[in-house]
Order: sequence, then C-alpha cells, then structure tokens
Amino acid sequence: MLSRVASSLYWLSRYVERSDGILRMLKINYASSQDNIQAFTWDPVINIFSAGSTDELSAVKDDSRQVLEQLLFSRENPCSVINMITLARENARSVQEHITKDLWQCLNEYYHLVREPKLRWYVQKDDPMTALDLLGKQVMLYYGTADSTMERGEIRSFMSIGKFLERSIQSVDILNTKFTTISSHPDLLMDASYWQHLLLSLGGYELYLKSYRGGFEAEQVLELVMLNSDFPRSAKYAVKNIQRYFERLKSEKNIEDYNNLSFNIGRLHSTITYSSVYSMKAEGLNNYLYKIRNELYGIGNLLNEYYFANS
Amino acid sequence: MGSVNLNSYAQIANTWDEMYIAGDRMREQYHQIIRYLEQESASDLSKKEELAKRLFMSQGITFTVYDSGEGIEKIFPFDIIPRVITATEWSFIELGIKQRLKALNLFLKDVYTNQFIIKDKVIPAGLIYSCPHFLREMHQLKVPHDIYVHISGIDLIRDYDGTFYVLEDNLRTPSGVSYMLENREITKRLFPDLIPQCNVRSVTEYPAVLYKNLMSLSPRAVSNPTVVLLSPGMFNSAYYEHTTLARLMGVELVEGRDLVIRDHKVFMKTTTGLQQVDVIYRRVDDDFIDPLVFNPNSVLGVAGLMSAYRKGNVAIINAIGNGVADDKAVYSYVPDMIKYYLNETPLLKNVPTYSLGNHDERAYVFENMHKMVIKKTNESGGYGMLMGHAASEEEIEKYKKEIRKDGGRNFIAQPTISLSTAPCYIDGVLQPRRVDLRPYALYGPDGITIVPGGLTRVALKEGSLVVNSSQGGGSKDTWVLSC
Repeated sequence: MLSRVASSLYWLSRYVERSDGILRMLKINYASSQDNIQAFTWDPVINIFSAGSTDELSAVKDDSRQVLEQLLFSRENPCSVINMITLARENARSVQEHITKDLWQCLNEYYHLVREPKLRWYVQKDDPMTALDLLGKQVMLYYGTADSTMERGEIRSFMSIGKFLERSIQSVDILNTKFTTISSHPDLLMDASYWQHLLLSLGGYELYLKSYRGGFEAEQVLELVMLNSDFPRSAKYAVKNIQRYFERLKSEKNIEDYNNLSFNIGRLHSTITYSSVYSMKAEGLNNYLYKIRNELYGIGNLLNEYYFANS
Repeated sequence: MGSVNLNSYAQIANTWDEMYIAGDRMREQYHQIIRYLEQESASDLSKKEELAKRLFMSQGITFTVYDSGEGIEKIFPFDIIPRVITATEWSFIELGIKQRLKALNLFLKDVYTNQFIIKDKVIPAGLIYSCPHFLREMHQLKVPHDIYVHISGIDLIRDYDGTFYVLEDNLRTPSGVSYMLENREITKRLFPDLIPQCNVRSVTEYPAVLYKNLMSLSPRAVSNPTVVLLSPGMFNSAYYEHTTLARLMGVELVEGRDLVIRDHKVFMKTTTGLQQVDVIYRRVDDDFIDPLVFNPNSVLGVAGLMSAYRKGNVAIINAIGNGVADDKAVYSYVPDMIKYYLNETPLLKNVPTYSLGNHDERAYVFENMHKMVIKKTNESGGYGMLMGHAASEEEIEKYKKEIRKDGGRNFIAQPTISLSTAPCYIDGVLQPRRVDLRPYALYGPDGITIVPGGLTRVALKEGSLVVNSSQGGGSKDTWVLSC
C-alpha cells in the first residue's frame, strides 16, 4: 500500500474518532448544564477541545448554546466538529478508491449534515440535543458501515490503529482533566454526579453499574477507564487493539522498523497491564497519565516515520 | 394529468433535432421514452430531477468552486432526459472514429520518427515545428506497440442536415468518461425498467477494457504488472474521475510525490518499501510530467520520468507529445492524413477550417466574421473563442488586431455550425437545447474499442452554442440502441 494512502486512512480514522469523542462530551455536558448541577462548568470540555484558543470560548462559557456553537461549527477552532469532519472527509477523498463507496457516501453525508443550516438552528434556537443526536447517529452509521463493508487487511489495520490510538489518547486526556479539576475543587471527589458524568461521556455508565455496586467512587472510575479489558473505551482495551492490528502489518520487507515499533507498543501494553489503582497512585496519578500519553504520541510518531514515508 | 407537454416544444429553425423530424413527427428512437414520460406527472419528473441532484451530491460527484474562502460543492448539471443514438448512426460513428484514430496514431509515430508526411509535403514543416505541443524530447522514442493515442474522446457535432462532424480530437488526457458511467447509473435509478425495454447497450465494460489494455502495455514481462493512475491530486477539478477510474480498475491512484526514479526505473513508496511501477495512466499534462525535462517548477510530476520512459522501463498512457496531433491548425490536415496513411476516403467530416496564416483565407474570414467562430489553436474548454454571430464590433476588431499581430499561426476560423438540439427537461417542460457527443475510444494492442455510449454535453443556457462545462454546459446520459 502507498505510504500516503496509509497515512490518509490513519488520519481519516483519527478525525472521525475525535469528532465522536467531542460529540459525546458535548451531549453529556449539555445535559448536565440543563440539570442545575452544582458547580457545573464547561471548563474541562473547553480545555480539551479548544486547542489553546480558549479566550473566545471562556468568554461565553456560561452560555451553553454559544459554547456548543463554537465547538460544533466554528471554523476558527481547529478542534471543532465541523473542522474534524472536514479533515476526515479530505483524507477520505484522497483515498476514495481504497474505501468502499458506502463508507465514502456515509462520510460525505456526515459532512453535508454538519453544514446544514437547520443544524445550526437547532443549536441556536431550538433543541440542541437534536443536532447532537443527528451527528452522533451519523458516526455510528460510519462505524457500522466500516465494519460491515471494509476489507480486512492492511487498510483495516491502519484505520483501526488510528481509531484506537485516538480513542486511548482521549480517554487519558479526559481522566487527566477530571482529576486535575479535583485538585482545585477537592469537594468534587465525593460528588457522585461528577463521576457519573465522566462515565456517561465515555459511554461507560452501564458497565460501571454492573461492575461496581454502591455508588460512584473516583478510584473505581479510574480503574474502569484505564484498566478494564472489556470496556471499549478503556486505555487497556484500546492499546490491546493497537497491538492486535499492528501485528497484522508484519512483513519481512521492513522487519527492522516493524520490530522497533512493536517493541514500543508491547512495552506500553505491559505498563498498563501491570498497573493497578494502587500503583498509579503511588507513582502520582498525573505523572502516570502523562507518561502513558507520551508513549501513545511516541507510537504515532514512529508510525509516521516508518510507514508514512514522512522522513 | 399528462405531463410532458410536447406542444410547447419549440424547435429551432434550420437545426437538426434529435427527437423530431421537421414538423411534429417524432423519430422512432424516442417513442418509448416519450411514452414513458407521458405516464408521469410533472411533479414526478421534478422529483426525479431532485433525486438526481441528491444522488450526485451524496456520492460526492461534485467539483469544488473556491470563492470567498470556503469551498462550495457543485454538481455538474445533469439533464434527466437521455439522448438517443440509433444502431445505424452508431455503426457509422464507430467506423469513422476507428479510421481517424488509426491515421492520427500513424501520424504521431511518423512525426516523431521519420517524418515522411513532412518530406512528402503533405503537411508543411513550419506548421509542425511551430506547434508548442510538438516535443523534440519524443523524437525517436520507442513507445510500446507503437501506440500513442490509447485513450481519446473525439468530439462530434451535427449540422442542420444531421451530418456528423468532428470538432476536436482530444488525444491528450480527455476527461468526462466517469460522467458517462455515472450518468447511466443515475438513469437506472430515475427510470426503472426503461433501459432494458429500449434495448440500450451497456457501457459498464469501459474500465475492464481500459485495464486490459493498460496491462498489455507493460514493458516488463511479468504476470502481474503494476499499473497506476497518476493524478495531480485532490484539488484537480477532475479528481472525482481519477478516483472513480482507479477504483473501477482496482489500480493504485498515485500522485507525483508517491513516485521516485531509481536507475531509470519508476517506483512507488509503499508501507513496505519501494515497488516497481510498469504502466502509468497519467492525468497530468505533458508540461508538468517531469520537472527535469519540462516545466521546472512542476511539483505534480516525477523527476526523471522521461529518462525511464526513454529507456523503455515504463509505459505512459497517453503517450507524451500527442498535443501536436490535437493542435487546431494541424486538425485541418486530418483528412489528408487519412488519405496519405490509409489511402481511404474520410468517413467523418472535418468542420471546414480556415488557416489565418494564409492571406486569401484570412481576407475571406475577415469579411465574414459574423458567420465564423475564431479559436486559439492551443486553448480548449471553450476558452479563447470568439463566436462571430454573437460578438460585438469591438470584440471582433480586437480579435482581428490580435490575429494580425500574431501572423495567424495561433488562430483558426470555422463557419458557425448550428449544433443539433435534443429535448431537455427545464423548468417543468421539454425544451430543445444544443448538444454534442464525445464517445471514448480505447486503442490497445488488440485494436480499437469504442464503448457504445459517450458523454453528451448540452448547452443548458437558452440559445447558447457552447457546451463546455466552464461555459454553463451540462450533460446527459447517452443511449446507443442495439437495434
């Protein structure tokens, strides 16, 4: 496969996954903003998804509709949903002949949907949840279509690696933001709804209820999001899948590069596997999350160097 | 309510109409379509028009217009009423195009090797050597199977009496074939069952024939040569077509930056290292194909590609330097080429063409500017054209001045041909609009194949004679009947 194609497939997946992450966050946060929850703030979302240009957003952070509008439709914010979708589509466009027509159509519809004036109207004047739901459904359609139409093999591997890498980075980022907020607002540590939100925005709420009885506790949330091997958005699950799809790229032609990157992924997988809530706390949660995040970025950089011919 | 009101169909005087024989007798090939349309209500047809737009949009069959920052996606206008060509008309077109392509291909081989046609004074040497698309870099370069014009899209038009004329040969990188394929797919959705009922011939074999030809041109004798389609990239207006063809043939779509030359061989950069490329179907113009030989500022091509080509290590489709046979001034010699190389009488006519380098012809043209179309020899796409019948005195004077200054080599004049009209569904009624026809011919080692169909371009603006998409043209599905 062409290096450029591999790179586009990988980024296509990353952008779709990122848009999915933002949409989930927005949906839950919007819901809680309507719930009159004590100390609700858009700050964590703004911190994660405004790529440094926080001023404009901070100015409107008490107005949910405006925050949504900025994070969904602003062309200036590089992390806005509309920009994510546009980038995903641009990447797809340049590899159209490698993805199925169904998948291309699905992405194309996603793109036309986010540009529809009606959607903006929902956010500005009507029920913003409708807009978020419509977009969310389109992402699910994308994943379903990718799963049932895309060929297995190299294409799928690069797409999956992109997806899981992005997902694990997001989960780690969300944990990091949530736990950092606690250091300045210690009372939130015991606030059940605070943790409930985190789980809802990651889609791990039901699994948590099944796994842990007796209310929401920070440590259990941490365990679920980092270490649970059955939770599709946990760091452990995502890294296991990065490893799984990367192994399929093994080829004698570039065995040295392969081994090198395989070593890095394996090391990260072990780090997570042989961690416990206890060991994370002993190391310092911030340090730990920071380390994992760096490892994830390192994998992205090596892919770039070895497989996408950008060196 | 009968929907298609044929009474309002106002034929244009002195013009061949594809549906009507003068008066109100309908040509037989349109009976079935009209019968079908009569069963639909006007709102049904408008719904079909909407459906067509939606299908084009959701499939991303669009081109992007960049103004005021954000790109606007537009679809190439599509008229839902198919244009019909009878079996008899088609077999004539097919023979005519094959004859013409054989001669043009021999001409290209000749002009880049022995130049007999110049030595025998059939075509003046000055005309060839002054053509900017005549590339000395191609001199004595051996191309596989002596084929230069692998893919061509010859533009045909019909005069008032229905005679077919060749307007342009398009031997470089003709585009639009994806619209031939997509238009048919859309029509299948719009008019269920109508295509088999009307005995319309299929166009779906095009990518398979093209792929077979490309494979057979591989210079390396390997069972599975690497064929790629070289595109300028996603900002090119024909990018959708490039991806469609690559997908339908299952070949890799590459950009210049994906290729490198090592030891006069072409390789592509893959996730597992370099892989040799044998055949390049390029959609990049000659001038941009190799910065070492042609335009040094080009980033669309591959440095060193010409050396690999000259060594015979890679096949390039279409051959480089075809523009010399495409030049509008050389065009007027094609009937002579047919006689010279094939000793045959040309089947398809040329539009009479006046060379403005010749004093007598120029004087005649200048006297009759209102009946003429003046074209620049090296422009296409409807640019650099003066339509005499619609031009102001001022514009005419400006052109005359330019022609005098140039000496006339870079201009030709042709009498205005009253293009034939076909019915179009516009604003809820059928209206006649001017059309042309571009069938696509594939020239391979086993001969010439012309897929029965083509692109019918239509001048959607009322009264317009220019069908180019850059000038407000659209397209139609084109049906060739099997009986």
